[in-house]
Amino acid sequence: MTAPLPASPVVAQVTAIEASLLAFVVLTALATALARDVLAAVIVFGAYSLGMAALYTFYRAPDVALTEAAISAGVTTVLLLLTLAKTTRIDHETAFESVNLPAAGAAGFLFAGLLLTMSDIPAIGSPDAPVWSNPDVTQWYLAESYAQTHVENTVMAVLAAFRGFDTFGEAVVVFAGGIAALIVLHREVFA
Amino acid sequence: MSVVDASLIAGYTVGDFLLLAAAGFTVLAIGMLYRAVKGPTMQDRVLAVNVLGTNTVVILAILSAALSEPTFLDIALVYALLNFLMAIAISKFTVERGGVL
Amino acid sequence: MSDVVDDTDMTDTASDTAEDSEVNASLDAESDLPPHRAVSRSGRLDSEERQGTPYTESQVIMPTVKIVAPIAFTFGLFITFHGSGSPGGGFQGGAIMAAVVFMIAFAFGIESTRDWLANTVVVALAVGGALVFAGIGLVPVALGGAFLQYDLLPIPILDPVKYGMEGVEILGIAPIVAGVLMGLFFLLARGFNSVGGGLGDGSLDEDESIDESGPLEEDAADAGGDR
Repeated sequence: MTAPLPASPVVAQVTAIEASLLAFVVLTALATALARDVLAAVIVFGAYSLGMAALYTFYRAPDVALTEAAISAGVTTVLLLLTLAKTTRIDHETAFESVNLPAAGAAGFLFAGLLLTMSDIPAIGSPDAPVWSNPDVTQWYLAESYAQTHVENTVMAVLAAFRGFDTFGEAVVVFAGGIAALIVLHREVFA
Repeated sequence: MSVVDASLIAGYTVGDFLLLAAAGFTVLAIGMLYRAVKGPTMQDRVLAVNVLGTNTVVILAILSAALSEPTFLDIALVYALLNFLMAIAISKFTVERGGVL
Repeated sequence: MSDVVDDTDMTDTASDTAEDSEVNASLDAESDLPPHRAVSRSGRLDSEERQGTPYTESQVIMPTVKIVAPIAFTFGLFITFHGSGSPGGGFQGGAIMAAVVFMIAFAFGIESTRDWLANTVVVALAVGGALVFAGIGLVPVALGGAFLQYDLLPIPILDPVKYGMEGVEILGIAPIVAGVLMGLFFLLARGFNSVGGGLGDGSLDEDESIDESGPLEEDAADAGGDR
Protein backbone atom coordinates (compact mmCIF):
# COMPACT_ATOMS: atom_id res chain seq x y z
CA MET A 1 0.00 0.00 0.00
CA THR A 2 1.54 3.25 -1.02
CA ALA A 3 0.80 5.70 1.70
CA PRO A 4 0.78 9.24 0.40
CA LEU A 5 3.71 11.13 1.76
CA PRO A 6 3.09 13.67 4.49
CA ALA A 7 1.91 17.05 3.31
CA SER A 8 4.91 18.89 4.69
CA PRO A 9 8.01 18.42 2.55
CA VAL A 10 10.21 15.84 4.14
CA VAL A 11 13.36 17.53 5.28
CA ALA A 12 16.28 16.58 3.12
CA GLN A 13 18.52 15.65 5.99
CA VAL A 14 19.40 12.30 7.42
CA THR A 15 17.55 11.62 10.64
CA ALA A 16 18.84 9.55 13.51
CA ILE A 17 16.86 6.47 12.55
CA GLU A 18 18.05 6.62 8.97
CA ALA A 19 21.67 7.09 10.00
CA SER A 20 21.63 4.20 12.45
CA LEU A 21 19.82 1.85 10.07
CA LEU A 22 22.16 2.70 7.21
CA ALA A 23 25.18 2.15 9.44
CA PHE A 24 23.78 -1.22 10.48
CA VAL A 25 23.12 -2.25 6.89
CA VAL A 26 26.56 -1.18 5.66
CA LEU A 27 28.31 -2.92 8.54
CA THR A 28 26.42 -6.17 8.00
CA ALA A 29 27.09 -6.02 4.26
CA LEU A 30 30.82 -5.52 4.86
CA ALA A 31 30.91 -8.32 7.40
CA THR A 32 29.09 -10.65 4.99
CA ALA A 33 31.55 -9.91 2.23
CA LEU A 34 34.63 -10.22 4.42
CA ALA A 35 33.75 -13.10 6.75
CA ARG A 36 36.09 -16.03 6.23
CA ASP A 37 33.73 -18.64 7.63
CA VAL A 38 30.84 -19.19 5.22
CA LEU A 39 28.38 -20.09 7.97
CA ALA A 40 29.18 -16.83 9.75
CA ALA A 41 28.61 -14.99 6.48
CA VAL A 42 25.19 -16.63 6.10
CA ILE A 43 24.21 -15.69 9.64
CA VAL A 44 25.35 -12.09 9.24
CA PHE A 45 23.49 -11.95 5.92
CA GLY A 46 20.34 -12.82 7.86
CA ALA A 47 21.06 -9.84 10.10
CA TYR A 48 21.54 -7.68 6.99
CA SER A 49 18.01 -8.49 5.83
CA LEU A 50 16.68 -7.40 9.22
CA GLY A 51 18.16 -3.96 8.70
CA MET A 52 16.94 -3.73 5.13
CA ALA A 53 13.37 -4.61 6.17
CA ALA A 54 13.40 -1.88 8.80
CA LEU A 55 14.82 0.59 6.27
CA TYR A 56 12.14 -0.24 3.70
CA THR A 57 9.51 0.12 6.40
CA PHE A 58 10.81 3.53 7.34
CA TYR A 59 10.69 4.64 3.71
CA ARG A 60 7.03 3.52 3.59
CA ALA A 61 7.52 0.61 1.24
CA PRO A 62 5.75 -2.07 3.29
CA ASP A 63 5.27 -4.43 0.36
CA VAL A 64 8.99 -4.52 -0.28
CA ALA A 65 9.69 -4.84 3.43
CA LEU A 66 7.28 -7.74 3.70
CA THR A 67 8.92 -9.47 0.76
CA GLU A 68 12.33 -8.92 2.29
CA ALA A 69 11.11 -10.35 5.60
CA ALA A 70 9.41 -13.39 4.10
CA ILE A 71 12.10 -14.25 1.58
CA SER A 72 15.32 -13.57 3.45
CA ALA A 73 14.31 -14.55 6.96
CA GLY A 74 12.24 -17.53 5.92
CA VAL A 75 13.73 -18.83 2.72
CA THR A 76 17.19 -17.60 1.76
CA THR A 77 18.89 -18.42 5.04
CA VAL A 78 17.38 -21.89 5.13
CA LEU A 79 18.32 -22.68 1.54
CA LEU A 80 21.88 -21.42 2.04
CA LEU A 81 22.21 -23.51 5.20
CA LEU A 82 20.94 -26.60 3.39
CA THR A 83 23.53 -26.05 0.68
CA LEU A 84 26.24 -25.57 3.28
CA ALA A 85 25.26 -28.83 4.95
CA LYS A 86 26.42 -30.64 1.82
CA THR A 87 29.90 -29.17 2.05
CA THR A 88 32.76 -29.73 4.42
CA ARG A 89 33.66 -27.11 6.94
CA ILE A 90 37.14 -25.71 7.15
CA ASP A 91 38.34 -24.10 10.34
CA HIS A 92 39.99 -20.81 9.58
CA GLU A 93 42.47 -19.12 11.84
CA THR A 94 41.55 -15.64 10.74
CA ALA A 95 38.05 -14.28 11.04
CA PHE A 96 38.14 -12.11 7.94
CA GLU A 97 39.32 -12.39 4.38
CA SER A 98 42.38 -10.41 3.47
CA VAL A 99 41.32 -7.49 1.32
CA ASN A 100 42.62 -7.35 -2.21
CA LEU A 101 43.91 -3.80 -2.30
CA PRO A 102 43.70 -3.11 -6.07
CA ALA A 103 40.13 -4.45 -6.13
CA ALA A 104 39.24 -2.39 -3.08
CA GLY A 105 40.78 0.66 -4.73
CA ALA A 106 38.76 0.11 -7.91
CA ALA A 107 35.57 -0.34 -5.90
CA GLY A 108 36.33 2.78 -3.88
CA PHE A 109 36.96 4.75 -7.07
CA LEU A 110 33.62 3.63 -8.52
CA PHE A 111 31.92 4.44 -5.23
CA ALA A 112 33.41 7.94 -5.19
CA GLY A 113 32.27 8.47 -8.78
CA LEU A 114 28.75 7.45 -7.90
CA LEU A 115 28.87 9.64 -4.81
CA LEU A 116 29.60 12.68 -6.99
CA THR A 117 26.23 12.27 -8.68
CA MET A 118 24.41 12.32 -5.36
CA SER A 119 23.89 16.08 -5.40
CA ASP A 120 21.70 15.83 -8.50
CA ILE A 121 19.42 13.16 -7.05
CA PRO A 122 16.27 14.60 -5.44
CA ALA A 123 15.88 14.17 -1.72
CA ILE A 124 14.09 11.08 -0.48
CA GLY A 125 10.38 11.81 -0.30
CA SER A 126 10.76 15.14 -2.01
CA PRO A 127 7.47 16.24 -3.60
CA ASP A 128 9.44 17.53 -6.58
CA ALA A 129 11.07 14.20 -7.32
CA PRO A 130 10.17 13.15 -10.88
CA VAL A 131 9.20 9.67 -9.75
CA TRP A 132 6.61 11.15 -7.44
CA SER A 133 5.35 14.24 -9.25
CA ASN A 134 5.08 12.55 -12.64
CA PRO A 135 1.43 13.09 -13.63
CA ASP A 136 1.42 10.33 -16.22
CA VAL A 137 2.69 7.45 -14.12
CA THR A 138 2.78 7.71 -10.34
CA GLN A 139 0.04 10.25 -9.85
CA TRP A 140 -2.11 8.58 -12.49
CA TYR A 141 -1.85 5.22 -10.77
CA LEU A 142 -2.58 6.71 -7.36
CA ALA A 143 -5.61 8.54 -8.69
CA GLU A 144 -7.00 5.88 -10.99
CA SER A 145 -6.08 2.50 -9.54
CA TYR A 146 -9.01 2.28 -7.14
CA ALA A 147 -11.51 3.52 -9.68
CA GLN A 148 -10.36 1.03 -12.29
CA THR A 149 -9.45 -2.06 -10.27
CA HIS A 150 -11.41 -1.65 -7.01
CA VAL A 151 -8.53 -2.71 -4.76
CA GLU A 152 -7.06 -0.41 -2.13
CA ASN A 153 -3.47 -1.57 -2.44
CA THR A 154 -2.04 0.38 -5.36
CA VAL A 155 1.02 -1.83 -5.53
CA MET A 156 -1.15 -4.88 -6.04
CA ALA A 157 -3.28 -3.04 -8.57
CA VAL A 158 -0.20 -2.20 -10.62
CA LEU A 159 1.24 -5.70 -10.22
CA ALA A 160 -1.82 -7.73 -11.04
CA ALA A 161 -3.81 -5.47 -13.34
CA PHE A 162 -1.89 -2.67 -15.03
CA ARG A 163 1.30 -4.70 -15.32
CA GLY A 164 -0.37 -8.08 -15.22
CA PHE A 165 1.50 -9.47 -18.18
CA ASP A 166 4.86 -8.67 -16.54
CA THR A 167 3.68 -10.42 -13.40
CA PHE A 168 2.74 -13.43 -15.47
CA GLY A 169 6.27 -13.41 -16.82
CA GLU A 170 7.65 -13.25 -13.28
CA ALA A 171 5.50 -16.18 -12.19
CA VAL A 172 6.74 -18.18 -15.14
CA VAL A 173 10.32 -17.24 -14.23
CA VAL A 174 9.80 -18.57 -10.70
CA PHE A 175 8.33 -21.74 -12.16
CA ALA A 176 11.23 -22.06 -14.58
CA GLY A 177 13.61 -21.57 -11.67
CA GLY A 178 12.21 -24.67 -10.02
CA ILE A 179 12.57 -26.63 -13.25
CA ALA A 180 16.13 -25.39 -13.69
CA ALA A 181 17.02 -26.55 -10.19
CA LEU A 182 15.66 -29.98 -11.06
CA ILE A 183 17.81 -30.12 -14.17
CA VAL A 184 20.96 -28.87 -12.47
CA LEU A 185 20.63 -31.38 -9.64
CA HIS A 186 19.82 -34.31 -11.97
CA ARG A 187 16.40 -34.98 -10.50
CA GLU A 188 12.96 -35.56 -11.89
CA VAL A 189 10.99 -35.25 -8.68
CA PHE A 190 11.02 -32.51 -6.06
CA ALA A 191 10.13 -34.46 -2.97
CA MET B 1 -4.97 14.52 15.45
CA SER B 2 -3.76 11.33 16.94
CA VAL B 3 -1.52 10.78 19.90
CA VAL B 4 1.48 10.39 17.64
CA ASP B 5 1.09 13.95 16.38
CA ALA B 6 0.72 15.46 19.83
CA SER B 7 3.47 17.92 20.63
CA LEU B 8 5.58 17.20 23.66
CA ILE B 9 8.60 19.47 24.04
CA ALA B 10 9.73 22.34 21.83
CA GLY B 11 7.57 21.29 18.90
CA TYR B 12 8.79 17.70 18.83
CA THR B 13 5.92 15.25 18.56
CA VAL B 14 5.44 11.85 20.09
CA GLY B 15 6.25 10.38 16.71
CA ASP B 16 9.65 12.07 16.70
CA PHE B 17 10.48 10.56 20.06
CA LEU B 18 9.33 7.15 18.88
CA LEU B 19 11.65 7.44 15.89
CA LEU B 20 14.44 8.40 18.25
CA ALA B 21 13.69 5.32 20.33
CA ALA B 22 13.83 3.18 17.19
CA ALA B 23 17.21 4.72 16.38
CA GLY B 24 18.36 3.78 19.87
CA PHE B 25 17.30 0.20 19.31
CA THR B 26 19.19 0.20 16.03
CA VAL B 27 22.32 1.33 17.85
CA LEU B 28 21.81 -1.58 20.22
CA ALA B 29 21.52 -3.85 17.19
CA ILE B 30 24.86 -2.57 15.91
CA GLY B 31 26.33 -3.46 19.29
CA MET B 32 24.88 -6.94 19.04
CA LEU B 33 26.30 -7.24 15.54
CA TYR B 34 29.76 -7.41 17.13
CA ARG B 35 28.85 -10.73 18.74
CA ALA B 36 27.34 -12.05 15.50
CA VAL B 37 30.50 -11.26 13.52
CA LYS B 38 33.10 -12.07 16.14
CA GLY B 39 31.66 -15.33 17.39
CA PRO B 40 33.78 -17.06 18.54
CA THR B 41 31.48 -20.08 18.62
CA MET B 42 28.43 -20.71 16.46
CA GLN B 43 26.22 -20.71 19.54
CA ASP B 44 27.19 -17.10 20.11
CA ARG B 45 26.13 -16.28 16.58
CA VAL B 46 22.81 -18.10 16.91
CA LEU B 47 22.01 -16.17 20.05
CA ALA B 48 23.14 -12.92 18.46
CA VAL B 49 20.89 -13.45 15.43
CA ASN B 50 18.01 -14.28 17.74
CA VAL B 51 18.54 -11.09 19.70
CA LEU B 52 18.89 -9.12 16.46
CA GLY B 53 15.60 -10.55 15.21
CA THR B 54 13.74 -9.67 18.38
CA ASN B 55 15.34 -6.25 18.25
CA THR B 56 14.14 -5.78 14.69
CA VAL B 57 10.60 -6.77 15.63
CA VAL B 58 10.67 -4.02 18.27
CA ILE B 59 12.09 -1.52 15.75
CA LEU B 60 9.40 -2.39 13.20
CA ALA B 61 6.63 -2.08 15.78
CA ILE B 62 7.94 1.30 16.92
CA LEU B 63 8.21 2.46 13.31
CA SER B 64 4.63 1.37 12.71
CA ALA B 65 3.48 3.45 15.66
CA ALA B 66 5.67 6.43 14.81
CA LEU B 67 4.53 6.56 11.18
CA SER B 68 0.85 6.02 12.14
CA GLU B 69 0.62 3.03 9.81
CA PRO B 70 -0.99 0.12 11.69
CA THR B 71 -0.67 -2.18 8.68
CA PHE B 72 3.12 -2.02 9.05
CA LEU B 73 2.67 -4.28 12.06
CA ASP B 74 2.21 -7.14 9.61
CA ILE B 75 5.90 -6.93 8.80
CA ALA B 76 6.79 -7.15 12.48
CA LEU B 77 4.53 -10.20 12.81
CA VAL B 78 6.12 -11.91 9.82
CA TYR B 79 9.55 -11.29 11.28
CA ALA B 80 8.53 -12.55 14.69
CA LEU B 81 7.24 -15.80 13.17
CA LEU B 82 10.08 -16.37 10.71
CA ASN B 83 12.91 -15.33 13.02
CA PHE B 84 12.05 -18.44 14.99
CA LEU B 85 12.56 -20.49 11.84
CA MET B 86 15.96 -18.87 11.25
CA ALA B 87 16.99 -19.59 14.84
CA ILE B 88 16.07 -23.29 14.78
CA ALA B 89 17.59 -23.72 11.32
CA ILE B 90 20.96 -22.32 12.36
CA SER B 91 20.96 -24.08 15.72
CA LYS B 92 20.10 -27.45 14.19
CA PHE B 93 22.76 -26.88 11.55
CA THR B 94 25.42 -26.35 14.19
CA VAL B 95 24.29 -29.24 16.38
CA GLU B 96 23.54 -31.93 13.82
CA ARG B 97 25.69 -31.08 10.88
CA GLY B 98 25.39 -33.95 8.45
CA GLY B 99 22.63 -35.52 10.50
CA VAL B 100 19.16 -34.20 9.85
CA LEU B 101 20.26 -31.54 7.45
CA MET C 1 15.38 -56.45 8.60
CA SER C 2 11.77 -56.17 7.61
CA ASP C 3 10.80 -56.90 11.21
CA VAL C 4 12.46 -53.71 12.28
CA VAL C 5 10.56 -51.81 9.67
CA ASP C 6 7.17 -53.21 10.53
CA ASP C 7 7.46 -52.93 14.27
CA THR C 8 8.02 -49.28 14.96
CA ASP C 9 8.58 -49.95 18.65
CA MET C 10 11.81 -51.61 17.77
CA THR C 11 13.35 -48.59 16.16
CA ASP C 12 14.89 -47.66 19.47
CA THR C 13 17.03 -50.72 19.37
CA ALA C 14 18.24 -50.05 15.87
CA SER C 15 20.50 -47.17 16.79
CA ASP C 16 23.73 -49.07 16.38
CA THR C 17 22.77 -50.84 13.20
CA ALA C 18 25.29 -50.58 10.44
CA GLU C 19 24.46 -48.04 7.82
CA ASP C 20 24.16 -50.40 4.86
CA SER C 21 21.57 -52.48 6.66
CA GLU C 22 19.60 -49.29 7.29
CA VAL C 23 19.64 -48.67 3.58
CA ASN C 24 18.43 -52.21 2.98
CA ALA C 25 15.64 -51.70 5.50
CA SER C 26 14.32 -48.66 3.75
CA LEU C 27 14.62 -50.48 0.43
CA ASP C 28 12.49 -53.33 1.76
CA ALA C 29 9.92 -50.97 3.16
CA GLU C 30 9.47 -49.10 -0.07
CA SER C 31 9.47 -52.08 -2.41
CA ASP C 32 5.72 -52.69 -2.22
CA LEU C 33 4.65 -49.06 -1.94
CA PRO C 34 4.38 -46.21 -4.42
CA PRO C 35 7.75 -44.49 -4.46
CA HIS C 36 6.69 -41.17 -2.99
CA ARG C 37 4.26 -42.23 -0.30
CA ALA C 38 5.18 -42.83 3.27
CA VAL C 39 5.39 -46.24 4.81
CA SER C 40 2.78 -46.84 7.47
CA ARG C 41 3.85 -45.39 10.73
CA SER C 42 2.83 -45.21 14.31
CA GLY C 43 1.33 -41.77 13.96
CA ARG C 44 4.37 -39.75 14.88
CA LEU C 45 6.13 -38.05 12.05
CA ASP C 46 9.54 -38.53 13.58
CA SER C 47 9.39 -42.23 14.39
CA GLU C 48 10.84 -43.32 11.10
CA GLU C 49 13.73 -45.62 10.48
CA ARG C 50 14.95 -43.35 7.69
CA GLN C 51 17.44 -41.51 9.87
CA GLY C 52 20.66 -43.16 10.88
CA THR C 53 19.49 -43.11 14.46
CA PRO C 54 15.86 -42.98 15.59
CA TYR C 55 15.12 -39.34 15.19
CA THR C 56 13.75 -37.54 18.20
CA GLU C 57 13.84 -33.79 18.42
CA SER C 58 14.39 -31.71 21.51
CA GLN C 59 11.41 -31.19 23.73
CA VAL C 60 11.61 -27.46 23.10
CA ILE C 61 11.53 -27.31 19.32
CA MET C 62 8.76 -29.82 18.58
CA PRO C 63 6.01 -28.40 20.83
CA THR C 64 6.97 -24.85 19.87
CA VAL C 65 6.69 -25.67 16.19
CA LYS C 66 3.35 -27.35 16.85
CA ILE C 67 2.12 -24.05 18.25
CA VAL C 68 3.85 -21.64 15.89
CA ALA C 69 3.28 -23.46 12.58
CA PRO C 70 -0.54 -23.10 12.47
CA ILE C 71 -0.29 -19.44 13.42
CA ALA C 72 2.33 -18.76 10.79
CA PHE C 73 0.35 -20.66 8.16
CA THR C 74 -2.80 -18.71 8.99
CA PHE C 75 -0.84 -15.52 8.77
CA GLY C 76 0.49 -16.54 5.38
CA LEU C 77 -3.08 -17.12 4.25
CA PHE C 78 -4.04 -13.71 5.62
CA ILE C 79 -1.19 -12.01 3.78
CA THR C 80 -2.28 -13.76 0.58
CA PHE C 81 -6.01 -13.17 0.85
CA HIS C 82 -5.81 -9.65 2.24
CA GLY C 83 -3.21 -8.47 -0.24
CA SER C 84 -5.65 -6.13 -1.92
CA GLY C 85 -6.28 -4.11 1.23
CA SER C 86 -2.98 -4.16 3.07
CA PRO C 87 0.68 -4.83 2.32
CA GLY C 88 1.26 -8.29 0.97
CA GLY C 89 -0.01 -10.46 -1.80
CA GLY C 90 0.50 -13.83 -3.36
CA PHE C 91 4.29 -13.77 -3.49
CA GLN C 92 4.81 -12.88 0.17
CA GLY C 93 2.04 -15.14 1.42
CA GLY C 94 3.30 -18.07 -0.64
CA ALA C 95 6.81 -17.57 0.73
CA ILE C 96 5.50 -17.55 4.29
CA MET C 97 3.48 -20.71 3.72
CA ALA C 98 6.54 -22.42 2.25
CA ALA C 99 8.53 -21.27 5.28
CA VAL C 100 5.99 -23.03 7.51
CA VAL C 101 6.83 -26.27 5.69
CA PHE C 102 10.54 -25.60 6.28
CA MET C 103 9.76 -25.10 9.95
CA ILE C 104 7.91 -28.42 10.15
CA ALA C 105 10.74 -30.13 8.30
CA PHE C 106 13.34 -28.85 10.74
CA ALA C 107 11.29 -29.92 13.73
CA PHE C 108 10.15 -33.37 12.57
CA GLY C 109 12.92 -34.39 10.21
CA ILE C 110 13.33 -33.49 6.56
CA GLU C 111 12.90 -37.03 5.25
CA SER C 112 9.69 -37.55 7.22
CA THR C 113 8.32 -34.27 5.87
CA ARG C 114 9.35 -35.30 2.38
CA ASP C 115 7.30 -38.47 2.74
CA TRP C 116 4.39 -36.62 4.30
CA LEU C 117 4.29 -33.91 1.63
CA ALA C 118 4.32 -36.01 -1.49
CA ASN C 119 5.98 -34.89 -4.71
CA THR C 120 2.52 -34.79 -6.26
CA VAL C 121 1.44 -32.00 -3.92
CA VAL C 122 4.50 -29.88 -4.59
CA VAL C 123 4.29 -30.28 -8.35
CA ALA C 124 0.52 -29.77 -8.36
CA LEU C 125 0.92 -26.48 -6.49
CA ALA C 126 3.51 -25.12 -8.91
CA VAL C 127 1.95 -26.38 -12.12
CA GLY C 128 -1.60 -25.67 -11.02
CA GLY C 129 -0.70 -22.11 -10.09
CA ALA C 130 0.89 -21.48 -13.46
CA LEU C 131 -2.08 -23.02 -15.28
CA VAL C 132 -4.61 -20.99 -13.29
CA PHE C 133 -2.72 -17.76 -13.98
CA ALA C 134 -2.52 -18.54 -17.68
CA GLY C 135 -6.17 -19.62 -17.69
CA ILE C 136 -7.40 -16.42 -16.06
CA GLY C 137 -5.34 -14.52 -18.60
CA LEU C 138 -6.56 -16.48 -21.58
CA VAL C 139 -10.30 -16.56 -20.82
CA PRO C 140 -10.75 -12.89 -21.85
CA VAL C 141 -8.74 -13.62 -24.98
CA ALA C 142 -11.18 -16.40 -25.82
CA LEU C 143 -14.01 -13.94 -25.27
CA GLY C 144 -12.52 -11.48 -27.72
CA GLY C 145 -10.56 -9.23 -25.36
CA ALA C 146 -6.92 -8.78 -24.40
CA PHE C 147 -4.75 -10.96 -22.18
CA LEU C 148 -5.77 -10.50 -18.51
CA GLN C 149 -8.61 -8.12 -19.38
CA TYR C 150 -10.39 -8.76 -16.12
CA ASP C 151 -13.68 -7.03 -16.88
CA LEU C 152 -14.51 -9.68 -19.47
CA LEU C 153 -14.20 -12.50 -16.97
CA PRO C 154 -17.48 -14.41 -16.63
CA ILE C 155 -17.84 -13.89 -12.89
CA PRO C 156 -21.53 -13.44 -11.98
CA ILE C 157 -22.80 -10.96 -9.39
CA LEU C 158 -19.33 -10.13 -8.01
CA ASP C 159 -17.01 -7.52 -9.40
CA PRO C 160 -15.01 -9.36 -12.11
CA VAL C 161 -12.03 -6.99 -12.00
CA LYS C 162 -11.47 -7.27 -8.27
CA TYR C 163 -12.10 -10.99 -8.04
CA GLY C 164 -10.11 -11.72 -11.17
CA MET C 165 -7.11 -10.05 -9.55
CA GLU C 166 -7.74 -11.91 -6.32
CA GLY C 167 -7.89 -15.14 -8.29
CA VAL C 168 -4.55 -14.41 -9.91
CA GLU C 169 -2.96 -13.60 -6.56
CA ILE C 170 -4.51 -16.40 -4.50
CA LEU C 171 -4.81 -19.25 -6.99
CA GLY C 172 -1.97 -18.26 -9.29
CA ILE C 173 1.05 -16.60 -7.74
CA ALA C 174 0.82 -17.95 -4.18
CA PRO C 175 0.75 -21.66 -5.18
CA ILE C 176 3.55 -21.18 -7.70
CA VAL C 177 5.82 -19.52 -5.15
CA ALA C 178 4.92 -21.91 -2.34
CA GLY C 179 5.33 -24.99 -4.52
CA VAL C 180 8.60 -23.94 -6.10
CA LEU C 181 10.15 -22.88 -2.79
CA MET C 182 9.13 -26.15 -1.12
CA GLY C 183 10.54 -28.03 -4.10
CA LEU C 184 13.84 -26.13 -3.90
CA PHE C 185 14.02 -26.92 -0.21
CA PHE C 186 13.57 -30.64 -0.71
CA LEU C 187 15.90 -30.66 -3.69
CA LEU C 188 18.69 -28.92 -1.81
CA ALA C 189 18.13 -31.12 1.23
CA ARG C 190 18.78 -34.16 -0.92
CA GLY C 191 21.67 -32.66 -2.80
CA PHE C 192 23.42 -33.36 -6.02
CA ASN C 193 23.25 -36.93 -7.23
CA SER C 194 26.80 -37.44 -8.43
CA VAL C 195 26.26 -41.15 -9.10
CA GLY C 196 23.72 -40.39 -11.77
CA GLY C 197 21.65 -43.47 -11.04
CA GLY C 198 18.90 -41.64 -9.20
CA LEU C 199 17.27 -40.08 -12.22
CA GLY C 200 13.56 -40.47 -12.11
CA ASP C 201 13.05 -43.36 -9.74
CA GLY C 202 12.78 -41.16 -6.68
CA SER C 203 14.68 -43.62 -4.57
CA LEU C 204 16.13 -42.25 -1.40
CA ASP C 205 19.19 -44.35 -1.08
CA GLU C 206 22.04 -43.66 -3.44
CA ASP C 207 23.15 -40.27 -2.27
CA GLU C 208 22.18 -41.02 1.29
CA SER C 209 25.14 -43.33 1.57
CA ILE C 210 27.34 -40.65 0.06
CA ASP C 211 26.18 -37.78 2.18
CA GLU C 212 26.32 -39.43 5.53
CA SER C 213 29.47 -41.42 5.15
CA GLY C 214 32.62 -40.70 7.01
CA PRO C 215 33.21 -38.85 10.25
CA LEU C 216 30.18 -36.58 9.82
CA GLU C 217 27.90 -39.50 10.50
CA GLU C 218 29.63 -40.29 13.76
CA ASP C 219 29.47 -36.68 14.85
CA ALA C 220 25.76 -36.59 14.19
CA ALA C 221 25.21 -39.80 16.09
CA ASP C 222 27.16 -38.47 19.05
CA ALA C 223 25.28 -35.21 19.07
CA GLY C 224 21.98 -37.02 18.89
CA GLY C 225 22.88 -39.32 21.72
CA ASP C 226 23.68 -36.48 24.09
CA ARG C 227 20.12 -35.36 24.38
